[in-house]
Amino acid sequence: MATEEIYQAVLAYDEDLVVELVTEEINAGVDVGTILNDGMIAALDVIGREFSEGTIFVPEMLMAAEAVQAGLAILRPRLVDTGAKPVGTVVLGTVRGDLHDIGKNLVGMMLEGAGFRVVDLGIDVNPEDFVGAAAEHDADIVALSGLLTTSMPEMEKAVAAVAAGGGGSSKVRTMVGGPPINEEFAEKIGADGYGVDAPTAVERARELVRT
Amino acid sequence: MSWTHRERILAAVNHEVPDRVPIDFGGAEFTSITLPAYENLKKLLGVTEETRVMSIIHSVAHPAEEILQRFDVDTRNVMPGRYSGDRDRWVDENTYVDIFDVLWKRTEKDVDQHFLHKDGPFYDGKLTIDAIEAYDWPDGKNAGLAEGVPERVEEIRRNGDHAICLYLPGGFIHRGYAMRGFEAYLKDLYKNPEALCRLMDKLCDFWVDTAETVIDAAGPGNIDIVYFGEDLGTQDGCMFDPEGIYARHMKPRHRRMVEAVKSRTKAKVCFHCCGSAYQFIDHLIDIGVDVLNPVQVTAAKMEPERLKAEFGDRIAFWGGINTQRILPFGTPEEVSAETRRVIGILGEGGGYILNSVHNIQPEVPPENVVAMFEAGLNHRYAEQPL
Repeated sequence: MATEEIYQAVLAYDEDLVVELVTEEINAGVDVGTILNDGMIAALDVIGREFSEGTIFVPEMLMAAEAVQAGLAILRPRLVDTGAKPVGTVVLGTVRGDLHDIGKNLVGMMLEGAGFRVVDLGIDVNPEDFVGAAAEHDADIVALSGLLTTSMPEMEKAVAAVAAGGGGSSKVRTMVGGPPINEEFAEKIGADGYGVDAPTAVERARELVRT
Repeated sequence: MSWTHRERILAAVNHEVPDRVPIDFGGAEFTSITLPAYENLKKLLGVTEETRVMSIIHSVAHPAEEILQRFDVDTRNVMPGRYSGDRDRWVDENTYVDIFDVLWKRTEKDVDQHFLHKDGPFYDGKLTIDAIEAYDWPDGKNAGLAEGVPERVEEIRRNGDHAICLYLPGGFIHRGYAMRGFEAYLKDLYKNPEALCRLMDKLCDFWVDTAETVIDAAGPGNIDIVYFGEDLGTQDGCMFDPEGIYARHMKPRHRRMVEAVKSRTKAKVCFHCCGSAYQFIDHLIDIGVDVLNPVQVTAAKMEPERLKAEFGDRIAFWGGINTQRILPFGTPEEVSAETRRVIGILGEGGGYILNSVHNIQPEVPPENVVAMFEAGLNHRYAEQPL
């Protein structure tokens, strides 16, 4: 019952209420997987769809993702206790020479809200640092962001470096995104996935860890 | 008849047909060329004049008069002078604090070399009206802002009859992001609108005062275009709700800015909005905006055909040459063809000023810059098939 309320609280962008309800549910002994999947992830999926359809916008997605992150902060230790594994691990960053992080941060929040473990390397990240972090964190995906057209060659280098598996991480898949990026470019540089926006990036990441 | 530069620009913004498409290059801080691309262009054209920087923060050059003349550019730029009183400062060569106490940083590795805001006076904690009121706001009547303006206008008038474009930086959204932080600002729109609106008003006050100071210094009759703006769109859609947020909180303040200009001058107002401006264009027309820049044709619902058909009789367009694909990665022939295509669509019956979408980016080959402007130079309305 209260899981439905958590779902509604996320849709209402009410971070405080999400925290309160998640705490109540945990205390009431409700399965943490149910709280996560039926309460929070399901709601954030709706938010993602509405964003992609253009019925809600950046502030709404931001507020919903933050509400879920606040709930996750309480839930995470319990999930660890129950041995629940994240959906996958994503190493995320803006490529070398680019300081823009708004899109990257949104993607990170939406991935976390979808149950991924996200290792955010920040901005201006060297190709070898993506490779190193992927090995260190046993990542499934390395996700590269960039706003500038000048970042596109950097993205290509980082994808090549990850694919070459400098850190012994040959299973790692790559995803790219950012305003100048499209499917065609992603394919050309050999990236495994591209998301036109943050919710689509989450969908692609889900597909990549399933296959 | 022969047309002056000024007549060409004014015809276009009045939806009339001049002899050829008017050309802008460097009329404003977002219609110029980045420093690395400019150095390449200078080399190709054999220009040796030392580069004048229009904005170090955005890594933008003032194109040399020699280059403007070569491309028969119809605009000339005027900007506010430097705020006097040493409110701003350089921490090191990659770190700058502006007059609003916003910290800007760049990375040395960045080819593009432009700065991004990374900290500001209202970044932390809850935004309060008390904090906004207690802040030591810069003064839009500061004498430094007018410095050099009359001399620049005089210089332009002496050298030819160009359209004078006054660029007035800042607005309450962009500068608001810089002072408050992007994510916090967007959340405040819903969670703390009263305080955020006060911040918007303070920034609006500064902008309006600055506009008055600089317009008066220039001589109101001398300004043909006032250029300002902020980004309302993203690549794929709207940054925020065009009705619930923009129309409610922002539009009245943008109207105030447009009216401040129009009550003082006969200048046309050009509004800069990157990304998908589509859902905001009706609002901009409604508040009196005459021209839209940069017309990011690769963003959602920004195809030239769509814009011209839906809004072309009510607003003019400035920009539109594809910066995200064709200018950086196309051949000069492709750039030329694309330029002619866009002129044909957006320029039909006037209503279009040729420029790239935003500043010419660092990796754009100089041959492509030349191809774009020469396509404009060679254009003749009289030769265009009806």
